[in-house]
Amino acid sequence: MFLRQRESLAFDRSVPGKRGMDLPKLDVPAARDTRPAHLKRTGFEALPELSEVEVIRHFTRLSKWNYGVDDGIYPLGSCTMKHNPRLNEKVAGLPGFTDSHPMAPDALVQGNLELLYTLQAWLKEITGLPGVTLQPSAGAAGELTGVMLIRAYHVAQGAKRRVILIPDSGHGTNPATAAMAGYEVVELPSRPDGTISFDDVTDPVNGKVRKGLKTLVSELGTEIAGAMITNPNTVGVFEYRFKEISDLLHSVGALVYMDGANMNALVGVARPGDFGVDVMHLNLHKTFSTPHGGGGPGAGPVCCVEKLLPFLPVPVVVRDTVKVGEGEVPRHTYRMEWNRPQSIGKVHTFYGNFGILVRALTYCLSHGSDGLREATLRAIVNANYVRARLKGAYALHIDSPSLHEVVFSDTLQAKHDVHTLDIAKRLIDHGYHPPTIYFPLIVPGALMIEPTESEDKGELDAFCDTMLAIAKEVETDPEALHQAPTLAPLRRMDETTAARKPVLRWTKA
Amino acid sequence: MRYLPSSPAEDRALLDTIGVTRAEDLLTGIPESLRLKRGLDLPEQGSEQEVTWQMLDLANKNTRFCAQFLGAGAYDHFVPSAIDAMVSRQEWFTAYTPYQPEISQGTLQHIFEYQTLICDLTGLDVTNASLYDGGTACVETALMAVRVQKKRHTVLVSRGLHPLYREVLKTNFAPHDGLNLVEVDLKDGVTDLADLQAKLNGDVAAVMVGYPNFLGAVEDLTALAGPVHAAGALLVSVTQEALAFGWLEAPGKAGADMACGEAMSFGNKPTFGGPFLGFLAVKDAHKREIPGRVVGQTKDLDGKTGYVLTLTAREQHIRRDKATSNICSNQGLVALRANIYLQLAGPEGLKGLAEQNVAKAQYLRQRLLELPDMEPVFDPPFFNEFVLRYKGDMAALQEACLAESLLPGLDLGRFYPEYQGCLLWCATELHTRRMIESLVEILARVPATV
Repeated sequence: MFLRQRESLAFDRSVPGKRGMDLPKLDVPAARDTRPAHLKRTGFEALPELSEVEVIRHFTRLSKWNYGVDDGIYPLGSCTMKHNPRLNEKVAGLPGFTDSHPMAPDALVQGNLELLYTLQAWLKEITGLPGVTLQPSAGAAGELTGVMLIRAYHVAQGAKRRVILIPDSGHGTNPATAAMAGYEVVELPSRPDGTISFDDVTDPVNGKVRKGLKTLVSELGTEIAGAMITNPNTVGVFEYRFKEISDLLHSVGALVYMDGANMNALVGVARPGDFGVDVMHLNLHKTFSTPHGGGGPGAGPVCCVEKLLPFLPVPVVVRDTVKVGEGEVPRHTYRMEWNRPQSIGKVHTFYGNFGILVRALTYCLSHGSDGLREATLRAIVNANYVRARLKGAYALHIDSPSLHEVVFSDTLQAKHDVHTLDIAKRLIDHGYHPPTIYFPLIVPGALMIEPTESEDKGELDAFCDTMLAIAKEVETDPEALHQAPTLAPLRRMDETTAARKPVLRWTKA
Repeated sequence: MRYLPSSPAEDRALLDTIGVTRAEDLLTGIPESLRLKRGLDLPEQGSEQEVTWQMLDLANKNTRFCAQFLGAGAYDHFVPSAIDAMVSRQEWFTAYTPYQPEISQGTLQHIFEYQTLICDLTGLDVTNASLYDGGTACVETALMAVRVQKKRHTVLVSRGLHPLYREVLKTNFAPHDGLNLVEVDLKDGVTDLADLQAKLNGDVAAVMVGYPNFLGAVEDLTALAGPVHAAGALLVSVTQEALAFGWLEAPGKAGADMACGEAMSFGNKPTFGGPFLGFLAVKDAHKREIPGRVVGQTKDLDGKTGYVLTLTAREQHIRRDKATSNICSNQGLVALRANIYLQLAGPEGLKGLAEQNVAKAQYLRQRLLELPDMEPVFDPPFFNEFVLRYKGDMAALQEACLAESLLPGLDLGRFYPEYQGCLLWCATELHTRRMIESLVEILARVPATV
């Protein structure tokens, strides 16, 4: 509960002589000063002088202005804000893991290597893909690794090719990633149901014709290195023609990348390796419950088909079986394999966000094969329940069957000059975190709701009741929505000035 | 399943409202032929107790040490108790990216403070909300340098940069056909000025040097800045041990145009290499080319001061393939640890800690050099790491240390053929005189050179 409306910056409260950290007594001779005179630290302008009490109170008060998953439903579509089990946090903090050094010889970190190997085995079975690297630190880093694998494969075949196809409904990271991997992006248009269009699409407003998948594949042919496809897509709909899409792309030698941001709708239900995916990433901070941490750290492992294995980043964790006597249980040892001549190289300094990988394996072991599938089904049921309760009050721009999330549009509210942003801000006044707004771009005024499997009926009902009350209020008191939020610590922020005259750090007055 | 809250009756009610009899009926959007017809071939769910034991078993399979004399990009420092206590508050660790500023002021103000501190430490104007780690921060910095230095396509990288950072750079430069990454040799443990001058030309966008470098040596940024700037290139300092900022002048004040690196030393344990904390700081003129999230100060409708994500026109959700980077997350919680650590330390704590690191490393070096088989390789000023040649049997040294639960320094031969038989040693405030003496005693007993 926040009781104070203000918490000044730490720098403004600094008082000379205060200390929040004391040092052990120095038990060796004092340091000789070997620095060149011009490289001696001259001082600090901002670093504050505060006691431990003040620092703890500062970060405690600041924390109370945040909304967390334990505060209630956090229905951010595509972000998968599910419960963050405390067991995962406890396990990740075990000194056996936290003290282990990334440069220590393999024989001294056998627990870590077994953990990585085991997590890889889970992800292989879940995705149906035989190759895994756990190195990428986030979804976008996974995408980049995946596209670099595609590139390395084509280079080994003789030419890197030129183009990556990306649907207009895709996450912005997809085109940015393709560009970072040296590719040109060609956009695939969506059909009215949100799925990729095989045929050309004529824009109803300006009459412009956008080439569909069939035309692009026949025109660009072997110029296409691959396609990056989110599945289920960002509207929460399964690309039901995925197999045909991948067959078509494979016919010109292109590879299929699946953005696995929405994999939590498929775990235990369908496997990308079974429907034509060549390479994909998983967001452990979404599907596998690792915390979002206010923006990170995440983890974005990449899974791939057999023919991409030689290109995986180094090192790869390998298991050797130690020969034992007749009738004995075989023993295993683990090692990092660095000598892989076709590898794309390293994509992280060490082995990825290891602490996050510990949490993800803990999630897997807690759920098991049965629990993983059940979590998927519950997430789908919850999204469809929200859809059933809000349908009518909010417009469903796309009426395809929803999986783990549902996307509404603000078209019904727009008649009263109330828009998605207003609805989102009004939810804050009712004590809820808003859904994802204005994404995907193909839905006007999108409100993308993903309740996840972590909510029970009571929490879902309370949220839906609030959404329905807001829809009523739109008709009776639109001004209340324009003013929202009024109960949060701050009202709407001036983002234009923030960008025009950026103040990006504190400076001494 | 303890994490799935609906009771069977509630579940029934949900399905009834939707109008289906079973959850599987909602899978109609997935063609039957693409669905998995069997259960996943994985173990069954485990209770909290069972999973705890399984994970403890794994953690216990790692060898534990009384002391680790290994740094090389992952430093073991003392972590104040306040950090874990604060970071385990759900408001910090379970929150999402602060897209709704009115209910994310905690995260936003924290990042604004963190940005201020990184600018203070580096002596530069602008930074972002953090990057994945040191290696990937080098990539973002190098690509940014090439962007702002139009018509220049080469980045010179000192071989004093962490060898794994250089590997990550190579991976990420490979897809860019027009860009070159060229290494600059070392001389006496620091960047070879003659080789640098020979390689500087009108196509060089930036020069990246370690500060301190991988071998622990302090590079003279000011001396390097002269020729680098004269060639029209930017000088980038790469710091893998950010605690050195308590002892060394801010790179921005010593001649660097950009500073990047790894700040895990502020409040984190080695954790097998991650999650760590990449940073990148630049001058004001380059602020609209910086990758990643940036937080700015602004006002709300009532004129109250608050914070928002800003300069988003650079980012992938607006610019798509024209964005400054594909990065859209940061290492928020690790940055929080660093922010708390730095506020606890304050200027005196940071300087004092840095001095202790120097003192411990100097003492370790002095004592190791008393051993007949240890000899110096070069002697530039160093922070908390240094290189010694070992004339004895490296395998016997490793074995003797491990037998006494000590992790020795890094065998450099793996990364630098010219330093075959050399070790990179590290000491921090965690190493007591007693630990250092034990190490020396143990090494003294290693069988002499055959």
